[in-house]
Amino acid sequence: MTEETAYTRKFRKELMAGLSSLVLLAVLARAGREMYGYEIAKAVKAEGEGGLIFKQGAIYPVLRSLDALGLLSSRVEASAFGPPRRYYGITDEGRRALSEWQGAWHDMREFVDEALAAHLAGAGPLLEHRV
Amino acid sequence: MTADPAPATVRAYLDELRNALKGASPGLISDALADAEEHLQGEIAANPTKTEAEVLVTVVQTYGTPQEIAEEYRSMEAAIAGPFPKPEQAPKRYKGFFSVISDPRAYGALMFMLLALPTGIFYFVWTVVGISLSVPFLLFIFGIPFALLFLGSVRILSHIEGRVVEGLLGVRMPRRLPAQSSAETIWQRIREALTDLRTWSSILYLLLRLPLGVVYFTLGVVGIVLPIALIGGSFIDLVTDRSHIQMTDVPWLDHMFHTAPGLLMIMVIGALLIFVALHMAKGIGWLHGHLAEALLVRL
Repeated sequence: MTEETAYTRKFRKELMAGLSSLVLLAVLARAGREMYGYEIAKAVKAEGEGGLIFKQGAIYPVLRSLDALGLLSSRVEASAFGPPRRYYGITDEGRRALSEWQGAWHDMREFVDEALAAHLAGAGPLLEHRV
Repeated sequence: MTADPAPATVRAYLDELRNALKGASPGLISDALADAEEHLQGEIAANPTKTEAEVLVTVVQTYGTPQEIAEEYRSMEAAIAGPFPKPEQAPKRYKGFFSVISDPRAYGALMFMLLALPTGIFYFVWTVVGISLSVPFLLFIFGIPFALLFLGSVRILSHIEGRVVEGLLGVRMPRRLPAQSSAETIWQRIREALTDLRTWSSILYLLLRLPLGVVYFTLGVVGIVLPIALIGGSFIDLVTDRSHIQMTDVPWLDHMFHTAPGLLMIMVIGALLIFVALHMAKGIGWLHGHLAEALLVRL
């Protein structure tokens, strides 16, 4: 929608591919209860500076893949209106994966930040910790 | 790809998504459709003041266009099947004649074969009674809701059968009930159901399940009982030292049942038949799974 180049869109997509799983596990772990897709989509605040960071529709296939991997459990329940809803909850294995992934994410972020900081330091004034 | 105008109704969105997913596995398509329908209906319910078309314009921005969503599902399926680590099951391939003994799919299929008779009888009776009541009842006012109710029951039965098939035979089937039609009048609904090829193929499947069930059940029972009888019978004969089987018409067989080496050989044959039965179950399970996929999955 914005004037981002195709490279940037592809880059965002690739970044999101792994991270969306991490975010969804985190949301469900924090909620501490089962949630259905639409509820999760609303709970994930995917608004970035340039609009949506990723489409809500992308959440559903990730939920299904986490379910298939056993990191989430799911059940279907009829709803008062509209089609039945699929509720997702985090499993013990999912919690274990979440804590491991959090570690991996911290390592990765530090590594990337350092690399970017070094790059910026070489180019001009050091730009620390952009918010 | 961006030239397409935004679909104005949920139905149109789902149709477009279905088109975009053409060629993907049927179970995947129906999952994607169910997810999209759940989300779109949720979005409509959350915005009661807006019209369906207005909601859909924003939804295409937030949820994604049908083409984008189709791509997400395709890449998810590829990720699960491919490089994403899937512990235990994935790398195991059941090859070779004897390894079938530890293949859960063979036991699932055997279980399915035994269940096929009772469920087949039920499906058949339900469908035949349903059809033969629905048609004459259409002369009366209450015939229309009755026919709708029957067609609805066919959908539900097909869905339950799909779950059983996926659970026992391992063929991916829809995880959710197919979307209810959004048609307004009762006549439109009936017309829609009657012109839907899946309605007819589902009915055909439910009717076919009886004869198939008889065959599966028979083969399943024989497959289980024959090895047990051969092994157990020979063992008892060996232990008690007297043969209970007389076959004077066929001297060489009769002889086999009366000598220790012969009885041992029969036990070995019985043991081999266990593997044959498991292979047969697996083969039937594979065939039936694909038959069910072809007839039951709504595209």
